[in-house]
Amino acid sequence: MVDLKNMTIKNAHKGLRDKLFSASELTESIFEVAANSESVLHAHLLLMHEEAVQGAKETDQRISKDNMLGALDGIPISIKDNMNLKGHGTTCSSKILSNYISPYDATVVKRLRESGTIFVGKTNLDEFAMGSSTENSAYGPTRNPWNPDCVPGGSSGGSAAVVSVGSALGSLGSDTGGSIRQPASFCGVVGFKPTYGTVSRFGLIAFASSLDQIGPFTKTAEDAKIIYEAISGHDSKDATSLKLKAKSLPEDSSAKVGIVKELMGEGISDDVKSEVERIIKILEMEGHQVSEVSLPMTKMAISIYYLIAPAECSANLARFDGVRFGLRREGGNSYEMSEKTRAVGFGDEVKRRILLGTYALSAGYYDAYYGQALKARNQVVNEFREVFSSVDYLISPTTPSTAFKFGEKTSNPLEMYMSDSCTIPANLAGLPAISIPTGINNDGMPYSIQIMSPELTDSSLLNFSSYIEKLVDFQHAPMKWKKEP
Amino acid sequence: MKLIPTIGMETHVELKTKSKMFCSCKVEETEKPNTNLCPTCLGLPGALPIPNKKAIEMITLLGVSLDCEITENGMFHRKNYFYPDLPKNYQISQFDYPIGLNGVLQIVSDNEICDIEVERVHMEEDTGKSIHVGGGRIDTAESTLLDFNRSGIPLVEIVTKPVISSSKHAVAYIEELRQLVIDIGISHGKLELGNLRFDANISVAHRDENELGVKVEIKNMNSLRSLERAIEYEIDRQTSLLEKNKKIIQETRHWDEKLQKTISMRTKEGSADYRYFSDPDIPNMNLSKEFIEEAVSNLPELPKDRRKRYLDLGLSLEESSHIVKSETWVRDLFEDVQVNVSNSRSAYLWTTGELLGQLRKLNLDEKPKHLIGENLAELICLVEEGKVSSSTAKEILGELIKSDLSPENYAKSNNLIQENDEDYINNLVSQIIKEHEKIVERIKLGEDKLVGFLIGEVMKESTASLNPGLVRELILKKTK
Amino acid sequence: MSKKFDIQEIAKLASIELNENEVKSLTEDLGIILEHVETLSNLELNDSDITIHPLGIELTLREDEVEEGLSHEESISNAPEESEGHFKVPPSMD
Repeated sequence: MVDLKNMTIKNAHKGLRDKLFSASELTESIFEVAANSESVLHAHLLLMHEEAVQGAKETDQRISKDNMLGALDGIPISIKDNMNLKGHGTTCSSKILSNYISPYDATVVKRLRESGTIFVGKTNLDEFAMGSSTENSAYGPTRNPWNPDCVPGGSSGGSAAVVSVGSALGSLGSDTGGSIRQPASFCGVVGFKPTYGTVSRFGLIAFASSLDQIGPFTKTAEDAKIIYEAISGHDSKDATSLKLKAKSLPEDSSAKVGIVKELMGEGISDDVKSEVERIIKILEMEGHQVSEVSLPMTKMAISIYYLIAPAECSANLARFDGVRFGLRREGGNSYEMSEKTRAVGFGDEVKRRILLGTYALSAGYYDAYYGQALKARNQVVNEFREVFSSVDYLISPTTPSTAFKFGEKTSNPLEMYMSDSCTIPANLAGLPAISIPTGINNDGMPYSIQIMSPELTDSSLLNFSSYIEKLVDFQHAPMKWKKEP
Repeated sequence: MKLIPTIGMETHVELKTKSKMFCSCKVEETEKPNTNLCPTCLGLPGALPIPNKKAIEMITLLGVSLDCEITENGMFHRKNYFYPDLPKNYQISQFDYPIGLNGVLQIVSDNEICDIEVERVHMEEDTGKSIHVGGGRIDTAESTLLDFNRSGIPLVEIVTKPVISSSKHAVAYIEELRQLVIDIGISHGKLELGNLRFDANISVAHRDENELGVKVEIKNMNSLRSLERAIEYEIDRQTSLLEKNKKIIQETRHWDEKLQKTISMRTKEGSADYRYFSDPDIPNMNLSKEFIEEAVSNLPELPKDRRKRYLDLGLSLEESSHIVKSETWVRDLFEDVQVNVSNSRSAYLWTTGELLGQLRKLNLDEKPKHLIGENLAELICLVEEGKVSSSTAKEILGELIKSDLSPENYAKSNNLIQENDEDYINNLVSQIIKEHEKIVERIKLGEDKLVGFLIGEVMKESTASLNPGLVRELILKKTK
Repeated sequence: MSKKFDIQEIAKLASIELNENEVKSLTEDLGIILEHVETLSNLELNDSDITIHPLGIELTLREDEVEEGLSHEESISNAPEESEGHFKVPPSMD
């Protein structure tokens, strides 16, 4: 068996290439972790063991011929269950898709396949990617490996947990308002949301089309870069896919850093603030110019987001009607059938957002709600642009607190929405943003910081994050999910 | 009570692109259901739309041909409503930035030219087809079967302002629009295949009223005849309601072909809330000036310009309109014939009258390949020069339809050329007059009918075919 | 700005049947959220160029070429009910 402690994609690739172990051995070790952890963590909804074994064999054949496909050949990766993977179910953790089998591959899945990636399985999420704790999954929540009484975050809770516990060396998630970064923060792993448009959305089951982006979970920023490079790039199947050239920024101590004033104030817990300040001090010691910047519109971020996202999702989820695929409940006529199917098939949060979105778009209310949100979004974009004229990167907390306990925020929808206050702005402006783990608190739960940068500077952001990782030297502490005998 | 009807037409035209509007599936007329599909047009989760360049070019061409203002920064909107044949339960359409605005279409009706103002021209996608099974009528069906092959086919919607004043004008409008989309090459224009579908909005009001009456939408008219009848019926229905001081409900009604009336549909009154918003999956269109200019330069001759050209050739308005609306091969043949004869009307009459008549009798709907303008022109010249009679020419035409021949040669070799030599005819006339003195007496007394008898006798006596007009002329000279 | 909304009407537009409990709880939830966004509604904002996509993405149109899509079997593979190659549903009224 392969020792997976501190195994990164980079190390795994070296190990395979230098024939320290085989792809089959690596895959088996990964599946063993899965076997041992799934009953507690419930991070995967589907494990694809047979296919993985076959894929690993093919990698080994290529290795024997010195013909490896690249850095991801033979690397076990899990996919959030809202991305189509041909021939297998894609449930979006919803009852309404319990029996849906994807007849096609999402572009990102196709690109990973072509890189020789081994698919471990599909991971759990908040239903239709709506939530911040994975408590909204119709198939039961995922637990945080650091403390199983705590949520792993959401909506990509499963994808974060598998990388954290080691039942995959990397995973794909999707981020609409923070659904990669927040669970990454709660699970002590790296979570990267790329510039909007640099990763194809074709095959990603849409939540909010102008905000959704697919991105990687990994242990290191370097690993995240490896996955990002494999999945990014123009896709003719996605009209919002960019053809623009990447831009670069300073990636060393000459980089100018800004701290967002509004994201270090009210609503953020003190210990999180202290941790961010600790990291800032480290940067200052390295010689970075650090300044305080202001993004006043971030105060409106939640309101803007919770009008735009539900509006878009109300249309995106209209296709789930029991006609051509998915769950169907009988009705006297087709209207009744759809109404009943959707009543039974959708969970509470999904219904909440669909109805909110429908209302925000309805006659007489469009201008005050959706229309207004679009104008405000424009202001957010402008504010970022202005701020980035004087700094290279922005640093803030990823989340207002470390991972909270199950049931802690489910009494009132707004409470849960507040978890996204730091992450939403980057989605509104389409900017790249990353969460990297920085430390552990007294309860043994991980801390993180969020770094944001201007559009199209994804590569620099990832490199800069690697640089900070080295400075911070985050050490995984023992996790509490395993009950020691 | 004199009530003035006002009609607005909404027409959907299927574009004849190879692939669908937002995906690369084939556009095909086929019996087998659900065979030309992909995640996008089937509305599967995760699929995305990519607009078809050719479709945009075609709608721009249409907009330009209607003299519309072309929107450079057009955008697509989602029109949200639930219906089983609409895979995404929203239709990608255009709302407040359609490709074309404020155009005009010239029509001919009741021998008058008039301009119909077009409010907008926009791009959208077609839905799938629903077949209601069991029961016969929509409201007694047991189930509905869905075929999504048609889902996603590019549709152009053309909406007129409420300026059409009669059912005849409405029909003329559709005929003109149909001809336009065929001529500029964007649609097959076959009504029977659903390439062109139309709904009518009808209201009536007092002549003195400033406002229009309550508008009723009429759907399900599948032919021009149904259109005319439905409009007539609806005008009558609304008129009698108002005469009885009853209110007209704003609603959608179905034209029932069997019952020949419009029937109210059991849906909510008033307009639906479609919650239009700009489709976040499709960035703004940004049509460049060059793109639009290219469309302008690619514009072929429009029906109205062709009509004017025919008027200038001497055809009447009715004749010009008729030819303009004929099949392309008929028009092309007419033009080929017309340049080779002196009288355009002859060209018109022979092409659209005699030729089409004979073809119809033979159950042919296309001209034989060998029949070209020059042959037909040659035949017409023979008639114009008096070399053959009209009836002989019709016979020759019959032969020409069957095989490739030169009408003149055929006439010569079959001895059909009329003798127009006055001396020869005069000799015969003198001879016949001598033989029928009694008849001549009666003619002199006013029995003009008997001239025909003498003509017949002259013809019988002649060895060559004679020009009957000339014979008559010479007989009359000698008898009066 | 009127905060009065009829959740049943909205549910009808969204084609979701709500039970009695849901009518109550969802009305409450939406009320809380709408109250929060009220501040945004009341802001005076410019009618500035509203672009849905912050990065001003340019639209690349697709060439009019046919490509293989799903086979007939793949297309109906997920159909809850099927009849002679058609998707079958309870009667849809126009």
